[in-house]
Amino acid sequence: MIDIRGLTKNYGMRSALQSVDFVVQPGITGLLGPNGSGKSTLIKAILGLVRVNSGCGTVLGMTWPNEVRALRDRIGYLPEDDCYILGLQGIESVRLMAQLSGLPGAEALRRAHEVMDFCDIEQERYRNVETYSTGMRQKLKFAQALVHDPDLVILDEPTTGLDPNQREEFLGRIKTLATEFGKTVILSTHILHDVHQICDNVTVLVKGTVRLQESLQTLEKPIHDGMHVVVVSDVQKLQDELQRQQFVVDRLDANSLFVHGLLPSDASLVWRAATSCGVIIQKVDQARNSLDKIFMQIAGAD
Amino acid sequence: MPVLDVGYRKWNGERTSSYFRWWVVAWSGIRLLLAGTALRRVMIVATIPALLSGVAIGVFEQATVDDSLRQTVTREMFGRRMDRAPRDSIWQVLRPAAENPKESRHLVWTFILHWYFRYPQAICTVVMLGLVAPRLISYDLRSRGYLLYLSRPLTPWSYLIGKASVLYFLLAMITTIPALLIYLAGILMSTSSSAILETWDIPLRILFSTGVLVLPTTAVALALSSLTEESRFAGFGWFAIWIVGWVTYIVMNATLMRGINRFERRMVQEEGYYYYLSPYHLLGQLQREIFGLLPSDKGVDFLGWILCVAITILGYGIAYRRISQTLKA
Repeated sequence: MIDIRGLTKNYGMRSALQSVDFVVQPGITGLLGPNGSGKSTLIKAILGLVRVNSGCGTVLGMTWPNEVRALRDRIGYLPEDDCYILGLQGIESVRLMAQLSGLPGAEALRRAHEVMDFCDIEQERYRNVETYSTGMRQKLKFAQALVHDPDLVILDEPTTGLDPNQREEFLGRIKTLATEFGKTVILSTHILHDVHQICDNVTVLVKGTVRLQESLQTLEKPIHDGMHVVVVSDVQKLQDELQRQQFVVDRLDANSLFVHGLLPSDASLVWRAATSCGVIIQKVDQARNSLDKIFMQIAGAD
Repeated sequence: MPVLDVGYRKWNGERTSSYFRWWVVAWSGIRLLLAGTALRRVMIVATIPALLSGVAIGVFEQATVDDSLRQTVTREMFGRRMDRAPRDSIWQVLRPAAENPKESRHLVWTFILHWYFRYPQAICTVVMLGLVAPRLISYDLRSRGYLLYLSRPLTPWSYLIGKASVLYFLLAMITTIPALLIYLAGILMSTSSSAILETWDIPLRILFSTGVLVLPTTAVALALSSLTEESRFAGFGWFAIWIVGWVTYIVMNATLMRGINRFERRMVQEEGYYYYLSPYHLLGQLQREIFGLLPSDKGVDFLGWILCVAITILGYGIAYRRISQTLKA
């Protein structure tokens, strides 16, 4: 979907992106990075909003950056900034975005209503946008990003300002767009939980360079097999019992253990051991690498 | 709750050309403009001078066939002015009309239309642009709305043209269209069948004069709007330019006119010597040239035209640069 090579962008003497190779596969890609790592610049560069010093490639099969203007018809962008057009009602501003993306007048209005329904904006659509709450503005921006049915959706911090329920619904909509409608989504965020919840791939950007580009499945797969066991009480008893059965067990914290070499298909062995020593298990889960730890390692490496 | 929620649907319709998307920016701005009741009322009031001009052309046409009316009009309206006006005064230009109105249709019509552009509509233009233009770009800068526009297939130029078109529309509604209607009314009220042949160039002069009025003024107004996120500062700057220019012109001329009697002083001021310092008087002088009302011995005012073009280029250049720069922030 996106294959950009050697992207460099300097602001005067300061380098924002240094020879970035950015590849995005279909599905949802999480774009992670600490503040000032160049995420927003990368997004603006893809959209052609900033002029790059070097770099070339393809986006949605079109030559980038030569065809960037035509590309914008196929990209939906939700900016991080709180941006709106003063004086317009919600429905008018979504229709305006549809028309700017080439939808004819009546069709733009119809489509605006449809997308606002999808984004759960009800009668508020007839209010002026400057009266909207932060959460409503996020939904409005999402509707504006989707109204022209883009193939690629770029969301810059989309869940900022949303309450937990709204956030879950929002992430659900993004997932629906990717799985049911084949949209490619780039999700730029600081919230690792969001990435963990819906992303297929992860790109980590630090100080203007790509430090990691990998599928989430591969990232979270631990180097060694094992199971993560959480108990309600008496963790020591279970650890002793498992060690007696020749398992290598590490104590992680007051209530959890890591059982080395155990595959999900052998989880029943843990249950049997717990039954035999009278310990109640709260959760048995396949061991995964923590995205938080990976991110901290990469971001903290400098 | 929606009556029917179909969820997300794909859209496969045909898109409009990306080269005309500036029109969407313009149309959205015009709709917002017309939504304001106060502004609509001001626009209606601004068309009143057009009625006066239409009546003046009607009276003139009647005077061409009614000798007593001609003499009354000549004596009451122009007599004293023509006698006492200086050599290059605009009133001197009208002298042939008083003597032979039948042969002076073109001259009188252009005089009336020039008056219409020069006095009521130029002032209306300044006031209306001062009310509308400061908000056009500064509001987008304040609310970061430009990101929404420019993430679509719009270049900073097309955005700027869209915004400028809102002002073009506004000024066309209060100057060009009424002026063309005055001309049309003149044709319909004319007592001569040759009126169209005699005055065919006047619509072109109206369009050209509109361009001279509209392009530099919108350029300056948009430049000011793009320089600040606070529209009141842009509005203040706009009115300050006109008022300071006007006052400077008056003061400079007053210094020059010492010792000349009161009536002549007014006349000379009207024709001007320091009009390059005042946007209002500079535009008036160029429009007078467009309507062919300068004395025959006066050539093309190259400095005036160069100033006008330079201000236009500079104004749009500043606005373009500011819009492009905001994306880098």
